[in-house]
Amino acid sequence: MRSKLLLLSTALGISSQAQLSFTAQNVPVQGTYRMCVVDMNGDFLDDIVSVNSNTIFVLEQTESGFEPKSYQTPVAENLPGWSFTAGDFNGDGYNDLLYGGGSGVTFMLSDGTGSGFIKKTPSQYIFSQRANFVDINNDGLLDAYVCHDVAPSVYFLNLGFNSMSSHQGGLGDFPSGGHYGSVWIDYNNDGHIDLHISKCGGNEERYTDNLYRNNGDGTFTEVAAEAGLNLKTQTWSSAWADYDNDGWMDVMVGVSSTSTGGHKLMKNNGDGTFTDVTAGSGIDTFSGTSWEYIPIDFNNDGYVDIFGSGNKILLNNGDMTFTPISVGFSTGSAGDLNNDGFIDIFAQDKVYFNDGNENNWIKIITIGTESNRNGIGARVELYSAMGKQIRDVRSGEGFSQMGTLNTHFGIGTDSEIIKVVVKWPSGIVDTVENPPINQPLVIVEGETTMSVTDVENLQFSIYPNPVKETLNIQGKSLENADYQIHHLTGTLVMKGKVSNGKVNVNSLTKGIYIISVTQDGKTSSYKFIKQ
Amino acid sequence: MKKTSLWLVFLLAGILFSCSSDNDGFPGEEAEEVSPVVLDLGAIPYPKLSDYQLFKSPLSELNPVFGVIPYEPISSLFTDYASKKRFIWMPEGSSATFQGDGKTLEFPVGTILVKNFYYENVLPNLNKRILETRLMIRTQNEWKFLNYVWNEEQTEAYYDMEGRFVPITWMQNGVQKEVNYRIPNGAECLSCHNSAEIPLPIGTKPQSLNKNFAYAEGVKNQLQKLKEFGYLNDYPNQIQTVVNYSDQSQPLELRVRSYFDINCAHCHSEQGFCNYRAPRFAFNMTDYQPNLGICVTPDEDISPWTNGGNPTHIIKPGHPENSAVYYRLNTTLENIRMPLRGRTLIHEEAVAMVEQWISSLNGNCE
Repeated sequence: MRSKLLLLSTALGISSQAQLSFTAQNVPVQGTYRMCVVDMNGDFLDDIVSVNSNTIFVLEQTESGFEPKSYQTPVAENLPGWSFTAGDFNGDGYNDLLYGGGSGVTFMLSDGTGSGFIKKTPSQYIFSQRANFVDINNDGLLDAYVCHDVAPSVYFLNLGFNSMSSHQGGLGDFPSGGHYGSVWIDYNNDGHIDLHISKCGGNEERYTDNLYRNNGDGTFTEVAAEAGLNLKTQTWSSAWADYDNDGWMDVMVGVSSTSTGGHKLMKNNGDGTFTDVTAGSGIDTFSGTSWEYIPIDFNNDGYVDIFGSGNKILLNNGDMTFTPISVGFSTGSAGDLNNDGFIDIFAQDKVYFNDGNENNWIKIITIGTESNRNGIGARVELYSAMGKQIRDVRSGEGFSQMGTLNTHFGIGTDSEIIKVVVKWPSGIVDTVENPPINQPLVIVEGETTMSVTDVENLQFSIYPNPVKETLNIQGKSLENADYQIHHLTGTLVMKGKVSNGKVNVNSLTKGIYIISVTQDGKTSSYKFIKQ
Repeated sequence: MKKTSLWLVFLLAGILFSCSSDNDGFPGEEAEEVSPVVLDLGAIPYPKLSDYQLFKSPLSELNPVFGVIPYEPISSLFTDYASKKRFIWMPEGSSATFQGDGKTLEFPVGTILVKNFYYENVLPNLNKRILETRLMIRTQNEWKFLNYVWNEEQTEAYYDMEGRFVPITWMQNGVQKEVNYRIPNGAECLSCHNSAEIPLPIGTKPQSLNKNFAYAEGVKNQLQKLKEFGYLNDYPNQIQTVVNYSDQSQPLELRVRSYFDINCAHCHSEQGFCNYRAPRFAFNMTDYQPNLGICVTPDEDISPWTNGGNPTHIIKPGHPENSAVYYRLNTTLENIRMPLRGRTLIHEEAVAMVEQWISSLNGNCE
């Protein structure tokens, strides 16, 4: 049965740049757990996802509204009573789901068809709180991290082929837990994704926040004290963003209870330390308490706002001060549900469509090749006349909800973007100059460094690209030509002679390679993606 | 039956001292009975419940041996309608000390607290099924949690801290009920049983024990029984005592406060798991209304959640529908239900009681 809903057009005459308002619309949501906005069908448009123990309900975003779909799943032992997380864990092109329950987690992994799911329920007891998909060991495969309320936190390293190994300790270590809100960010701009944990309850040591610095060699060091982030407030999540656009991630540590102090706004000094700039920021006088704090630029003015609950959004005034404005929704999931470049909120049975304004925007869809498919952990930089903005691609922000995996920027009145730079977890850097504004931009890892070199020397082409097994080499007089394949890092991985116009690359691991073909003293090269 | 009148004192280190000068040797009367319970603190956890010899055979009768004294708190924790049988054992010659009406007794090293969880009238055969026996054992340094999970044959329980769910269908007062009963993982114990991260018993407070109990040899006050047996040094005549929240003859407010005390206070206390929330539900603190959350604004807005309602206060007098406590008791969704653990079903009788009590309160929170 199909039904389509027309989106209500709510174009309003808007004058102010900072204009922000929402129009509510009922949507036919099913299922008990309504906590997720993410693309489920691989078209990179955000969908509404809700679940029961044996069904995933998707309201698929189309040009004309939402199309309801539902998918039977094996019965989940654990339901997302505490948190919902999404990401392409198995790299099949479809996002997978992680249900965080009070006794453990259940993975619902897509089976490669977009309509079937494989269940994985690790036996480990976890009183799950926030969970994240992130490539903890930087092997190109997404792992899963789960905050534990009553014990050291747990993480699952992805072994490929829908299998994983379970680990406990080293990343959120307090014996009786208190780990509530984890978020993976690069706080020191070293290209390695770090972990911040918001903590709460029990004695002071238990509720002191953690910051784990990724040393880049597979190890992490707890550095909250030296960073000045060993805060002793009662917090379930923290909103990380570069609120003053100085190129470094700041953090709003929002409290769930004021019993040991209020909200904190901590400015990143760029040297591994943070300074408390709460006083006078508007954060100090904000009296709401909540377990959700999520950074989003709602009005596309180029300054990231903060969304919590209590029917308030803290609008960034652009000078490290914030003004709370009232909205009609409390806790909800964030994404662009009508593809207009303004972030909307899904809460319970309604979408609160952002009415938008005249500000310009871009949203970046990061597709990893050597890195994980979603590009989670990538640092995205945007340069425009107003300066530089940065984002980390993250899965799992705030405490309970899951929001879009697309990277969204507002650019205010700037009418062009100088460049977008993506620094992938693999170390590959892509730069897109002068991309068109007010539309999505897909960046495939490595694509901007894919062009043919020395085409004058030896004309040939390759297909398909990306390739799974056999690379076809097309050109004149190439039979028995010598070829070499180097990994992008420079390592020679294969060499031989072109035979029947083909090179079998089945044995190569997933990644980006350069093939060089030499004939009669002339050499030319191509880059290709091995899937 | 009284325990030994200290012919021999078995001190903590296990050293025997003769402490009698004029009555050496055995008395002419019958020899004192000795508890057969086995406990070597260096050898626990024992693999099987029967290894402790706490109960006579057959084990499933839960018929205690000499020295294993049954007890029952006046108001009890709700755990999905499971029935419970509780016992105390202490090493010979050692005894607990009174620390205050609302503080757990200070137990000697070697104390074993025993709590068996079972259902009666379990379908299909309407028989009794014991699911788990939780032990708390006082070692030299701290309380240890040890859980023993019963086999289906009900012949033995085995040490198991992994935790699991056991589906149970049973008849409760003529009504068929179902639960996916939770046997906790070891990590879950401490979140309720702690104060400032130090493991502690909950139900063994004088305020909860100060009532009569029907022992095999007759009805007696539980504290008196413990004292007579040699398990309790002394205790005051006057004890501020909770009521049984199920006893409808008791004043409603005392019933509600007693319910909150045994179900909520272990987390909602100054040193508890949820110390950062406003309520302080211990019985001796709830004569002060704000500690009950009356007219206190909740930190967390639960209205976005299914069945979260639209509470304006933790408790709004006269208005259960505006009281967060009411919604948190009246849901099974794990992110808003209270208590956080031990409960997956709605405790219907408690919800009705709390609803009635909130409705009876006056005041407008202004």
